[in-house]
Amino acid sequence: MRIGFPRALYYFDYYPFWAGFFHCLDIEVVTSPPTHRQIMDQGLKKASDETCLPLKLLAGHIQAFKDVDWIFLPRIVSVEADTYTCPKFLGIPESMLPAIPPGMSVLTVNLNWRKGKRQVLKDLEVLGEQLGKSKADIRKAFSQGLEWQQNYQDSMGAEWNFEESIREINRARKNSTESVQVPTLVRLKDRVLAKLPARTSKYTPESRIVDQKTTERLRIGLVGHSYLTHESYANLNLLKRLREKATVELVQNVNQEEVKRHLSGLRKKLFWSHSKQIYGAGKKFVADQKVDGIIYLTCFGCGTDSMVQELVSHKAREQHKPYMVVTLDEHSGEAGLVTRLEAFLDMVERRRAHEGYVSTYGECLDRNSNTV
Amino acid sequence: MLVDDKYFLGVDVGSVSTNMVLLRPDNTVKEALYLRTQGRPMQIIQEGIKQIRSKIGKSAEIIGVGATGSARQLAATLLGADVVKNEITAHAVAASRVNPQVQTILEIGGQDSKIIILRDGVVSDFAMNTVCAAGTGSFLDQQASRLGIKIEEFGPLALEAKNPVRIAGRCSVFAESDMIHKQQLGHSLPDILAGLCQAMVRNYLNNVGKNKDIRGPIFFQGGVAANPGICKAFEEEIGQSIIVPENYDVMGALGAAYLAQEKVGSRPGTLTQFRGLNLGETQFQAKSFDCTGCANRCEVVEITQDGASLARWGDRCGKWSGAGVAGTITGTSEVNLKEEKQKEEKQKEEKQKEEKRGA
Repeated sequence: MRIGFPRALYYFDYYPFWAGFFHCLDIEVVTSPPTHRQIMDQGLKKASDETCLPLKLLAGHIQAFKDVDWIFLPRIVSVEADTYTCPKFLGIPESMLPAIPPGMSVLTVNLNWRKGKRQVLKDLEVLGEQLGKSKADIRKAFSQGLEWQQNYQDSMGAEWNFEESIREINRARKNSTESVQVPTLVRLKDRVLAKLPARTSKYTPESRIVDQKTTERLRIGLVGHSYLTHESYANLNLLKRLREKATVELVQNVNQEEVKRHLSGLRKKLFWSHSKQIYGAGKKFVADQKVDGIIYLTCFGCGTDSMVQELVSHKAREQHKPYMVVTLDEHSGEAGLVTRLEAFLDMVERRRAHEGYVSTYGECLDRNSNTV
Repeated sequence: MLVDDKYFLGVDVGSVSTNMVLLRPDNTVKEALYLRTQGRPMQIIQEGIKQIRSKIGKSAEIIGVGATGSARQLAATLLGADVVKNEITAHAVAASRVNPQVQTILEIGGQDSKIIILRDGVVSDFAMNTVCAAGTGSFLDQQASRLGIKIEEFGPLALEAKNPVRIAGRCSVFAESDMIHKQQLGHSLPDILAGLCQAMVRNYLNNVGKNKDIRGPIFFQGGVAANPGICKAFEEEIGQSIIVPENYDVMGALGAAYLAQEKVGSRPGTLTQFRGLNLGETQFQAKSFDCTGCANRCEVVEITQDGASLARWGDRCGKWSGAGVAGTITGTSEVNLKEEKQKEEKQKEEKQKEEKRGA
């Protein structure tokens, strides 16, 4: 049995769970190829006109499947207590029906972590019935999925690269046969450590140069949904372009405790899990002296960002942190994006050089200004 | 005097205008050109070079070139620029050289509008208009031609207004329909024009200027600064006087020239990459094609000079832009096309198989 898993939206957050889950059930998971022009075009044609770009992309990815028995479109209602996912996530299987190619069927399941782990397991058992799997199988698969997800998230906290960890998961899936081999945390951590420059062991002049370079490099916090920051086609390679010129910190790599700490100042709780992460991490970047500037990546028509973006921008302005919003839509012309990025990095760099000899922290300005 | 014969050239190729500035080493402007791009940037750049050549002596020498504007890459390729910078930096550099005290720059060009906040001569914040083109020069252009007046008459006419009408400025499409209604109600032309200026300024300040700390001295530059109606509307809305610098329409090019000067000046002894003043006489051509190497179908542009390839861009993977200029594109793309055809045929076969299976 082959299940098609679209490389869009929740792929960027929860793919490890589903990979582990289906792997344990001995079901093959096929992911759609990385977004390309045809996927985008197809998505724009089939998705509702009023929805946001990531959902349009999902519609495109759905149509990219061939030779799968099911297209898997879970309804992820919530992933933790007291929050929901974006309302557009909640409507997914139905809102995507027009995009399903004729003759293909949809596999769906309701996941509502607000109601507790038990309920989730129950819902998964219903899914299991559809797939002809026993309750015991599902329980085992569930715990394996959680384990993979946990490993993935731990590695994210250690500044693990998204593409690499997905590759790791796929490798583990292929390698393992009877005895289920899980990408263990220890191994991931070892590899992360191996990637770091060996500072303590040898302090050669070479490593000193490397150190100097890393401190001279600009550090930019990239704030936005995982399905935008990692979607390199739609965001016109923003992440790669940024990484060429600066060290990039991602929202997804900020660990939960830190996010929670920075959420405490809010008068009212944020409803949406993604937004919580974005706001908490964004606020952390604002407070972090090492981060030279913040870029908020959003897409046209994002409801949750319309509020969270304002919240983050307020914080940035309070701290006089360089801040820029990049709004994505369907355009493929890169000139606009490149101009903004270049100008922003220029500004951050010139500002930093300027602050090097003139203290700007003494001067107090009104809090609605981003200027020093 | 020998010094007088050396110039820095700044080129700003925008969507509506192509500007060139010849800067003397003593920071005075020798020549400023404002040409309409008219959708033909390459020819206009050549035209500009021709004009510049005719205006300076034969012994004159260009010792540094800077390019900016949305077509800066194209301009840099054609001219052989020493420095290529984005418009924001260029405008900021120009303004702060003209007046080091300047703290805010309002810039409205053909298809984009920006606000730049400077403190102590350093850009501390900026914003550009988003996808929407409301409140840019081309909108005014369009409306002027719709009303049957020249864009040059727009501003002076707007100043004659006694009771400016209120026009919705949020979206240029709505603004247009609002204007038509007002016209049909019998409002006078100057009142409508002044209303349009106010709507545009409101839109600009709400959109681009949102949350920005606008402080004087304020510079207003870009092509639209030629319109006194807009200047007046800005002054009324902000409540401060607006300075339109002498070379307001070519500030981007001026900034590029200053940047070229900085670059060349910082490394004495280096020679400019400028490709010579006889550029006007050669033949440039641009070809574009869809690369069929992968499903992305990037639109690749190739610039050739007298048949030899100069540069290519537009691809995501770097296959064309990174490759050397040897080998013509048509040859390779034909190969790609063949491959693509084979692929499509295969896909067709697979589809047929599927259908059979389904039946």
